[in-house]
Amino acid sequence: MRRHWSLFTTASRYALVGHTRNRFAMLLVVVYIPLWIALACMTIPGGPAPFRLRATGEILSPPGNHLTQITGALNAVTLIAGFMMFVATFTGGAFDRRLTMAGYPRYHLVLAKLSALTLVCAAVAVYATAAVGLAWPTRQPLVLTAALFFAAMTYGALGVVLGSVLRREVEGMFAILMISILDSALQNPLSSSGSDSALVCFLPTYGAVQASMSAAFSGASAAQGLAIQSLWLVGTASAGFLVFRRRTRNALPPQRTPPVPAPSGPGTAGGAHGTAPPVGYGPSAESVQRR
Amino acid sequence: MDVRDVHHSYRRHAVLRGVDLRLRPGTLAGIVGENGAGKSTLLKILSGELAPDRGSVRHYGRFGYCPQSVVLDDSFTVRQHVDFFRTAFGLADLRRAREVMEVLAFTEYLDMRVGLLSGGSRQKLNLTLALMHDPDVLLLDEPYQGFDWETYLRFWELATELRDTGRSVLVVSHLAYDLDRLDQLWRLEGGRLHRQERRTGAAA
Repeated sequence: MRRHWSLFTTASRYALVGHTRNRFAMLLVVVYIPLWIALACMTIPGGPAPFRLRATGEILSPPGNHLTQITGALNAVTLIAGFMMFVATFTGGAFDRRLTMAGYPRYHLVLAKLSALTLVCAAVAVYATAAVGLAWPTRQPLVLTAALFFAAMTYGALGVVLGSVLRREVEGMFAILMISILDSALQNPLSSSGSDSALVCFLPTYGAVQASMSAAFSGASAAQGLAIQSLWLVGTASAGFLVFRRRTRNALPPQRTPPVPAPSGPGTAGGAHGTAPPVGYGPSAESVQRR
Repeated sequence: MDVRDVHHSYRRHAVLRGVDLRLRPGTLAGIVGENGAGKSTLLKILSGELAPDRGSVRHYGRFGYCPQSVVLDDSFTVRQHVDFFRTAFGLADLRRAREVMEVLAFTEYLDMRVGLLSGGSRQKLNLTLALMHDPDVLLLDEPYQGFDWETYLRFWELATELRDTGRSVLVVSHLAYDLDRLDQLWRLEGGRLHRQERRTGAAA
């Protein structure tokens, strides 16, 4: 148990160290989120922007700039979390592989990465909610934080998947950006009438958008939206785990079968120097494949 | 290390056509081969990154692998790397890591971020991570890349010491100097390993 705890805490500590040393992402968190919210407040007209919330059927009519602030906050937290996890996965892929080959259990590494992602997303969601709250009071700030958190986590897990399967850094950046643009633009009542289409229900942050709109402008329950977003999170996190597992697989499964000393002969290098240690006292590894 | 009849192909292109290799304890051996001879594929199979189409690979005892391209995290310090791998290997202390770092003369960089280290120092850490758990079987892929002459000589002292204490050490290179230091040398050609006579100098 102590060993499991040590493996988990060590990996979590270094996962967090890695994130905090991503200076550009930190700068985005500190500057981009409040800047976006402030600019939306100042530049977007405050006239009513009526739309129907699919989750409750309610017609809401918030000021346009407030609506943009919420969609903008969602867009900012998802992009930052996706970008952070993509970079961490893409640049750390070979290192993770080396760690697992050295004996680091993959479950502990994955749990540690998930814990670090959870902490980062929670901090970013609280920060974004506070930034919105400085501009105007939201109806359910805790629910808004939860919606932002789940959306960020979903994109963070998506970043892990993209960081594992794409070959070039620029491909991942574009992929996250394109997914985010499609996701947010199609759901935004200000920019697209498509937000009334059934298709939007299948977008990655549909649940978070529904929950955050309820939280910001209505007193209605956001449970359904949060539940849908949780499903997206479970789906992307599972995909992230599967690709991580595949990428760090070892074709030399550990075995404890006592070895038979290899006979001398062609292709055999005999130990001409030193004393040979007893073989088979430690874990051995074997890779066998037959057609 | 016991490698038997390893075959591997990429689609119809056969790269390895029956590689046999047995390394007994207390052996310092080398494999050389030209570019495209299949060294990378063989290394991937020997290190467990790739499963062979046919054949088997066995490592008896603790296994250590030093990849050719340094596999480090630029955001961590040298000390953090060593600590992270101490946990991975389940080591009680860092005695062996300190010994290796002293031999390679880079203990003064312990608290420096790896991203700020020179290529040679990064390679020293790369090698330290492969050796710090005192492996019985050691696979080294171009391990002296980026080393200055003095460090290069220290590397061979270290490899010889490992051999003398009963470890199996396999050095893979496209160009191997100081072949007289090796007990055994193979050339990878035509998808198979061919025994080579050792001679002082270099082989391509």
